Parts: sequence; structure tokens; C-alpha cells
Amino acid sequence: MISIKNISKWYGSFQVLTDCSTEVKKGEVVVVCGPSGSGKSTIIKCVNALEPFQKGEINVDGISVGDPKTDLPKLRSRIGMVFQNFELFPHLSVTENLTLAQIKVLGRTPDAARDKGLKLLDRVGLMAHKDKFPGQLSGGQQQRVAIARALSMDPIAMLFDEPTSALDPEMINEVLDVMVQLAQEGMTMMVVTHEMGFAKRVAHRVIFMDAGKIIEDCTKDDFFGAPRSERAQLFLSKILHH
Amino acid sequence: MNYNWEWGIYLAAEPGGTGIYIKYLVIGLGWTLATALAAWVIALAIGLVVGTLRTTPHKWVVRLGNAYVEVFRNVPLIVQMFLWFFVVPELLPKALGDWVKQMAPPWGSYLPAVMCLGLYTSVRVAEQVKAGIGSLPRGQGMAGTALGLTLGQNYRFVQLPQALRIVLPPLTSEFMNVIKNSSVALTIGLLELTGRARAMQEFSFKVFEAFAAATVIYLLTNLVVVFAMRALEKKVQVPGLISASPTAGAH
Ligand SMILES: Nc1ncnc2c1ncn2[C@@H]1O[C@H](COP(=O)(O)OP(=O)(O)OP(=O)(O)O)[C@@H](O)[C@H]1O
Ligand SMILES: [Mg+2]
Repeated sequence: MISIKNISKWYGSFQVLTDCSTEVKKGEVVVVCGPSGSGKSTIIKCVNALEPFQKGEINVDGISVGDPKTDLPKLRSRIGMVFQNFELFPHLSVTENLTLAQIKVLGRTPDAARDKGLKLLDRVGLMAHKDKFPGQLSGGQQQRVAIARALSMDPIAMLFDEPTSALDPEMINEVLDVMVQLAQEGMTMMVVTHEMGFAKRVAHRVIFMDAGKIIEDCTKDDFFGAPRSERAQLFLSKILHH
Repeated sequence: MNYNWEWGIYLAAEPGGTGIYIKYLVIGLGWTLATALAAWVIALAIGLVVGTLRTTPHKWVVRLGNAYVEVFRNVPLIVQMFLWFFVVPELLPKALGDWVKQMAPPWGSYLPAVMCLGLYTSVRVAEQVKAGIGSLPRGQGMAGTALGLTLGQNYRFVQLPQALRIVLPPLTSEFMNVIKNSSVALTIGLLELTGRARAMQEFSFKVFEAFAAATVIYLLTNLVVVFAMRALEKKVQVPGLISASPTAGAH
């Protein structure tokens, strides 16, 4: 579904990604972890071309992301993305947040978009808030709306960039629950997170990055059983013990 | 100071035969508003486009926008007024230039004044719009892009509605500036409010009365603008969103 081949990326002369390759199959849940600044956000933003890359090739559902001829808006509309800071549109109501792209990008009628959006809103347990504005919701609620917004586009895969990092601890689980359910339904997911509980429950594979390189790319059991690299062990011992 | 105010002058007939002085001044206010409003429409339209273009990822578009802003920002308003009145008609194709020069008053002054103020103000609007877009979290544009919105849709539905709410207070000041700056049009012969106050002073030798009236009329006009803009700000306020800095005031 998502194939990343020998990606390298520079910011000026600073190399952020060095020769990264991996593959995410349909229905697979891949967790990406690693220390701050290791390039986790950058690599998943390359997948939907939010960030350009200078070398290598990324294919999503057989479509080359780096090809200048690719219709990027169309490709992006098929990949859901969830951000650390939610990024709901604050000037639009919850319902409008859910329908805007369905109407403007997919060309759905307002009624169809609304039906779809509200169905997903109900699924994340926020039907009662459909007419509120993002600023009137808690962080956890906003993130669940953001997930519903991404799902309303019927994505073939979902990207998550630290979806729970900006949340108060008591709200983390309400968001993780939605994600776990999504994973169990067979959604293809690439998830940057330090929630190792989530990784243990639903991930098929874990990727560990450091300094722009993919250091580990193995099954969940291998990763938590005996990570091969010292960096990964050090990282794990740090985040598991707090 | 021992000045003998003569308030009755407002009810005296002005020598041009159009009626009493107060009516003469109010017609001046009409021209002031007609100039300012037309210029404001131009300024908003161009300022929105240029300000937005300057935030796009296209380098040449940004440079073009910057050049436009530098040109109109760095030449004094009164010089621009003279350029539009005296020079631009000469640069136009001959037929068009002659038509402009032969326009019956006040149109021959009104048109250059509107163009001048419109473009002069457009760069100030462009600066505000650019600053407003720039103040949005980077993730907002990204979220729109990730949903598949095109760049144009992203500006139209995500960034501009937020940016414009943020810059509404400074735009209010800019609108009041256009009203005040329209007085510069008297230098090219437009009898707007200031021009008429000066004419009244010349006819009647009542300098204090003439400019006291003009002052009060400007103040009242700007008061109306402030209240109208406050109402607009309230109307577009988003529930739960931290409102923009409370700087909506005259200056
Ligand atoms: N626009 C940019 N210009 C220059 N350098 C950047 C830019 N964005 C990111 N970087 C750098 O690229 C590197 C990787 O950033 P990235 O955001 O991908 O890290 P990350 O693994 O997601 O970290 P975190 O856990 O803090 O989110 C960092 O060193 C960062 O400073
Ligand atoms: Mg990151």
C-alpha cells in the first residue's frame, strides 16, 4: 500500500532523512518511534507529499508521490492525516469541519457529506457536539473530531503524527481507543507515537528511527523482545520507565 | 484668545449659489465618502490578492507582490496624487489620456484620486493580509492540504477566513485612514470636505468656523466607522476562539 524506497531529504545542507526504506501493506499497522528530531514527522509527511524529498521513491497504492505529474490534491484526499495539534479549523463548526473537504474535494453533496460526517462523529462518540466550535471542545474531543474528519474522506490509509502528545494524560485513552478500534477494523496505519502500550496492542511492525535513519524495522514481537540496536534499547528503557 | 465666533455663518449662503454653507460642507462629506469608499473597494480587492500571493510557495509570485508593495509604499501619498493627476494621463494612449483630461469636474479629479488612494491603501491592506496569514499556525494550511484542498481552496476556506478575522481591527484603522487621506485630493482640485472647508474660509474669512465644522464632521464619520466595525467584529466572532487583540481603535 505504502512503499518507501531509499528516501533522502535535506533542509538546505542539513540531511534530515538518510536512505530510508520500508513498506506498509494493506491492513498493516506500523508504529514509528525514535528520539526527538530523528525525522519521524518528516518521513510520514513525505508519504502524502506535505514535505518534498530529494532522493528515492514513495508509492502509495501504486501512485508515485514524487512524480511531478501526480495529482497531489487527489492523492492526499485518499490518505487521512492526524496531527499532534489536531488542526481542526477553528472558524468552522464541528460539522463544517467534517464536511468541508468532502464537499470541496470529493464533490459530495452537502447532505451526503453531512450524513457521512455525522455517522463518523457518532462513531467517535461526539454526536452531542456537532454544532460546537473546536475551541469549545477539550483536546481529546478535538482529536477525535480530527480523526473523524480524516475518516470522512474514506481514506485508503491513515497517517498519525504523535496524535496524543499534546493531550492531558486523562484524555490520551479516549483517543487511543478510537485508534485501536480503527486498527482492529483493518485500516492501514502509519503511527508516529511513543505510546508503547498502543504499539503492543495493535501494531504489526515497529520502526525505530534515529538521526534520520531507520535503525530498526521489525515485527512488534522482535522489537519488544530483543531490539538489536543499542540506541533502540536505550530509547525503550527510557520511555518504558516513565 | 479673543475670537468672535460667528455660528450663524453656517446658515449663510455660499457665493457659488448652491445653498447655505452647512449644505456646502455636507456635500463635501459626500465626496469624501464617495472617494474613500471607492478607493476602499479597490484597496480591499487588490490588497487581498497581493497579500495572499506574497504568502504562496511560488518564489516569483512572492517577488512580484513584494515589488508592488515597495513601489506604492515608498512614494509619498501627495506625490502619487500628482502622478495620477498630471502624469498618468500623459502615459495613457492618446485618445484615452485626452478623454481623462477633458472629463468634466469633479470627475477629472475624482477618478485619479480614487485610483491613487485605492492603490496606495491596497499595499497597506496587503501588508495586513500577509501578516494575518503568517500568524496562523503552520499546521492549519497543512491540514487543509492533507485533506486534498488545492492551494486556492486552502486560502479561500481555511486561511483567509481566519486571517481576516485576525486583521479586522487594523483594517478598521486603514479604512479610517482612507477617509482621512482622501483630503489630499484637494491638491488636485477635488472639492471634498477639506477642500470645501478651505473654500468656505476663503469666501467668508471664517477660518475657525470652517475648520471646526470639518473637524466635527470627520470625527463623527470615524465614530460611525468604529461602531460599524465593532459590530462586524462581533458578528464574525467565532465561539470558543480567542479573539484578536483588542486594538480596534482610531489612530
Ligand atoms: N522546516 C525545517 N527546516 C529545517 N529543519 C527542519 C525543518 N523541519 C524539521 N527540521 C529538522 O529536521 C529534523 C527532523 O525533524 P522531525 O520533525 O521530522 O523530527 P521528529 O522525529 O518528528 O521529532 P519530534 O519527536 O520532536 O516531533 C530535526 O532536526 C528538525 O530540526
Ligand atoms: Mg515530530
